[in-house]
Amino acid sequence: MSGQTFYKDDFTAYLKRRSFLLRIGLITGGIFLNSCYKKLKSNNYNIKGNLFGPNAKAGHALRDKIKIPLASKTRKVKILIIGSGISGLSAGRWLKNSGELDFEIIELENHIGGNSHYSSNKVSSYPLGAHYITIANNDDELLIDFLKEINVITHFENDLPYYNDYYLTFDPEERLLINGEWQEGLIPDFGVPQADKKQIRRFLNDVEKLKNTKGNDGKFVFNIPVHSSSNDLEYRKLDKISFESYLHTNGYDSKYLLWYLNYACKDDYGQKMDKISAWAGLHYFASRRGGAANAEQNAILTWPEGNGWIMKQLATGLKEHIKTSNMCYEIKKMADGSLSATIFNLSKNSTESILAEKVILCSPQFVNNHLLKNFDREINYKNFSYAPWLVANITINQLPDSKGITLCWDNVAFNTPSVGYVNSAQQHLKISEDKKILTYYLPLCDFEPSIARLAAYSRDYSQWLDIIIPELEMMHPNLSLAIENIDIWIWGHGMIAPTQNFIWSDNLEKARKPIENKIFFAHSDLSGISIFEEAFHQGINAAKQILNNNG
Amino acid sequence: MNKKLPALLLISVFVVATCGLIYELIAGTLASYLLGDSVTQFSTIIGVYLFSMGIGSWISKYFDKNILSWFIQIEILVGLVGGFSATILFLVFESIASFRIVLYGFVSLTGILVGLEIPLLMRILKDRYEFKDLVSKVFTFDYIGALLASLIFPLLLIPHLGLVKTAYLFGILNVLVALIVCVSFKKEIKASKYLQSASLISIIVLLAGFVYAERITSFSESQTYSDTIIYSKSTPYQRIILTKKNKVLRLFLNGNLQFSSDDEYRYHEALVHPGLQALPFARHVLVMGGGDGLAVREILKYPNVDSVTLVDLDKGMTTLFQSNKILLGLNKNSLLSPKVKVINADAFSWIKAQRKKFDFIVIDFPDPSNYAVGKLYTNVFYTLVKSILAPKGLIVVQSTSPYVAPKSFWTVNKTLESVGFKTIPYHNYVPSFGEWGYIMATEPENVYKKPQQYLPGLKFISKESLDLMLFFPKDMSKVETDVNKLNNQILVKYFEDEWANVL
Repeated sequence: MSGQTFYKDDFTAYLKRRSFLLRIGLITGGIFLNSCYKKLKSNNYNIKGNLFGPNAKAGHALRDKIKIPLASKTRKVKILIIGSGISGLSAGRWLKNSGELDFEIIELENHIGGNSHYSSNKVSSYPLGAHYITIANNDDELLIDFLKEINVITHFENDLPYYNDYYLTFDPEERLLINGEWQEGLIPDFGVPQADKKQIRRFLNDVEKLKNTKGNDGKFVFNIPVHSSSNDLEYRKLDKISFESYLHTNGYDSKYLLWYLNYACKDDYGQKMDKISAWAGLHYFASRRGGAANAEQNAILTWPEGNGWIMKQLATGLKEHIKTSNMCYEIKKMADGSLSATIFNLSKNSTESILAEKVILCSPQFVNNHLLKNFDREINYKNFSYAPWLVANITINQLPDSKGITLCWDNVAFNTPSVGYVNSAQQHLKISEDKKILTYYLPLCDFEPSIARLAAYSRDYSQWLDIIIPELEMMHPNLSLAIENIDIWIWGHGMIAPTQNFIWSDNLEKARKPIENKIFFAHSDLSGISIFEEAFHQGINAAKQILNNNG
Repeated sequence: MNKKLPALLLISVFVVATCGLIYELIAGTLASYLLGDSVTQFSTIIGVYLFSMGIGSWISKYFDKNILSWFIQIEILVGLVGGFSATILFLVFESIASFRIVLYGFVSLTGILVGLEIPLLMRILKDRYEFKDLVSKVFTFDYIGALLASLIFPLLLIPHLGLVKTAYLFGILNVLVALIVCVSFKKEIKASKYLQSASLISIIVLLAGFVYAERITSFSESQTYSDTIIYSKSTPYQRIILTKKNKVLRLFLNGNLQFSSDDEYRYHEALVHPGLQALPFARHVLVMGGGDGLAVREILKYPNVDSVTLVDLDKGMTTLFQSNKILLGLNKNSLLSPKVKVINADAFSWIKAQRKKFDFIVIDFPDPSNYAVGKLYTNVFYTLVKSILAPKGLIVVQSTSPYVAPKSFWTVNKTLESVGFKTIPYHNYVPSFGEWGYIMATEPENVYKKPQQYLPGLKFISKESLDLMLFFPKDMSKVETDVNKLNNQILVKYFEDEWANVL
């Protein structure tokens, strides 16, 4: 007992010292960056709320290899899954559905779900990260099976899936504030000159053609999951150039079109078009071919809590397999060839060793880099670039009237830093609600991710308000008077950014390879695109690899 | 100097007389607006007012000293009471039970004060004129004032200022008389400074009332409504306005006409009887929307109906139609019937949790003019309705105008069909609305049998009129449309387009 206490004191003291150093560094960096941003002086908005984020303390403990207590016990699990994001849950679901029950999912945070995390207050549930999926491509059988299983697809009509009416995004769906008015849809139209409209049409026609184009191997050029796309080098070479230079070469220069495409890159990849590969930029538009009996192509499925809802469905039946607030500290190979994972329990402050035959790492590669210090994994971790994000949930008691179409699900303003806000109450059935929650998404993409991340960690609540409120006020004059609360969530490593030479690189291919048929990998960063579907397939792939091995 | 003053006092008589009659007219008009039956209201108000004036005259003998300063104080008081009378009466009208007490209280108080004025004035003037001259002059100015008041009140004041502002205006005039008399006779009055400032303050207060009259009473709508507004209230969900012109009441929700009391029977008979008369076994009826209780009034005419459940979002609305006397007269106390259960809930959420089945379901929602209400016209909503309809039951949906908005009307029809209903569309003419449409729906295996006869006492529906209602002339005939869904809400778009051409 006393030994444990000793460790605890030692550990917290150590952590304090480390975090002190860390904080000094961040503050210095923050001060330096302050001058890069315009003014950081707070206007003292009288707004309540909190600043949250993933468990950065634990994350840094891992990065800085802070000492943890020695393992006080050892136990065995056949298959150990690290991480309970979509890929981890998907792997668990697959194992369970295949009759393999000897597995455990270890989660660092005190909640499951990874990027699909959500929260709620008196007004509504709301997402803290990912908030929608598009309807499934009709050849994506695994996903369609899952959507049937959870009643998102209720039945089939004329061989087309009929999606649950409660989950298809309610009308009105999207609006764009442009030239002083809210127009319907996000593609710039209101007050846009004819020449620009023509160019926008040309681009949309081009991607429509690409959508139905197959490569010389008979596969779609752009598909979901990414790695089911064609191998045709003609198209893969697009991964070597930036989306910006691709557009330039193809004569696209309309400021309205370029704004729209840049918005799309920020929205899906958290980075601007100069950082994103042309292949990824086009994938956004040309990979979704989903058809439904009761909705348009590419229709959107969403829930008040965002992808938190579908994440919960994925986790159904996995509850007894999941252990939250448990950090995997490292993985070692034992003399007998089995694996030993050191697991630190953050709430009990104790450590255990789990001996496993197989491990599925469903954690991002920047974490795996630390977990696999004892293994020789010949990949360059530096090629994995993660975009930092801010998600703000804004509780308002009324939305001021504005010119044009009324509040939609997705609300975007032309030429602003954020990618707009989503109305979390869109899928509510109630006719009249006075209060609403707007979920505002801001990709922190004005600087290199590492610098933007550092700046984000050093900024305090009121400094964030100075960034958020002026934009909201521009969209809705006097909105700040109607704001009751703003909760801010910072994702330091929000999503993998599909930069040039990433998705189709040897590096990424190597990163997907299991180690000695014992350690398997599943995470959307191994696809290069951070969407639900990729993580879902990653998890199933890893589980299948293990099951095939067993067989 | 002494000669000027009596002239001033005679002008006061004239103003005082005008004000006095104006207050009486305001009270009478307000009472007939709010309580209806103008003959009764005017008679009782005039009676009470004149009697109160008599009391005032009688009391006047108890005023012995300082008559001039008493006169000034009473002028100020009359100005304040009369000036605020209309505002206060409008504001307390909601609590209808005590309204008459407040009304007649005001009328008596004003009457007593006005009744004091002339006797006191005559006593002030008695030393300055011979008695016969005094009587002749005072009553001449009194009656001229009365004539003026009775002419300008209906011709100028009501149309241009409205009741509330008129009351303030004459309150101010009354106090002005007090002020002028006070200034002119300051040597003869004790504490003239105090009376001057009291009247000045009163004028400022009344002026503020005059300027902010609209904001105080929120009757700013009076300009947009041609009829007199007798009730207005903002609930969390909508703005309820009730207007009255002659005997006709009109109810507006957010500025849209809901019914006009002179022809609402055409709408509500058409909504209820073709369906309910065909269901002699119907015992449990559901009404969604229709917080005015007028559809329920028609439903309660059927002795076979055991229970009526009314689901309306707005408690403000159902409470109004459960408590306001004129409105209770209109809906025949329907919402107070022991057979009726009123539920204030959001229809979509309520129906989703509902398990009990109903034989007849009346869907009487506002028109689909926005995306929120549009949800209640979707296939998802009708699926839920279908799930709580008894196997042999019928539903009826108010479906906007098939003449003005044929695409909207036939979209409702198509949407009902898309969830597996057989539909029976029909329409009739409601003067306030124009040509209006309704759609009955039932399980496909049921056969709708046209009723051969109806309850006695109905003013519109008969066997013959239903035949006409079921027939759609060419200009309203069926058009092909899509199904209205939560994820497309085409009905809201059609409705907007089609009514934009009309409004």
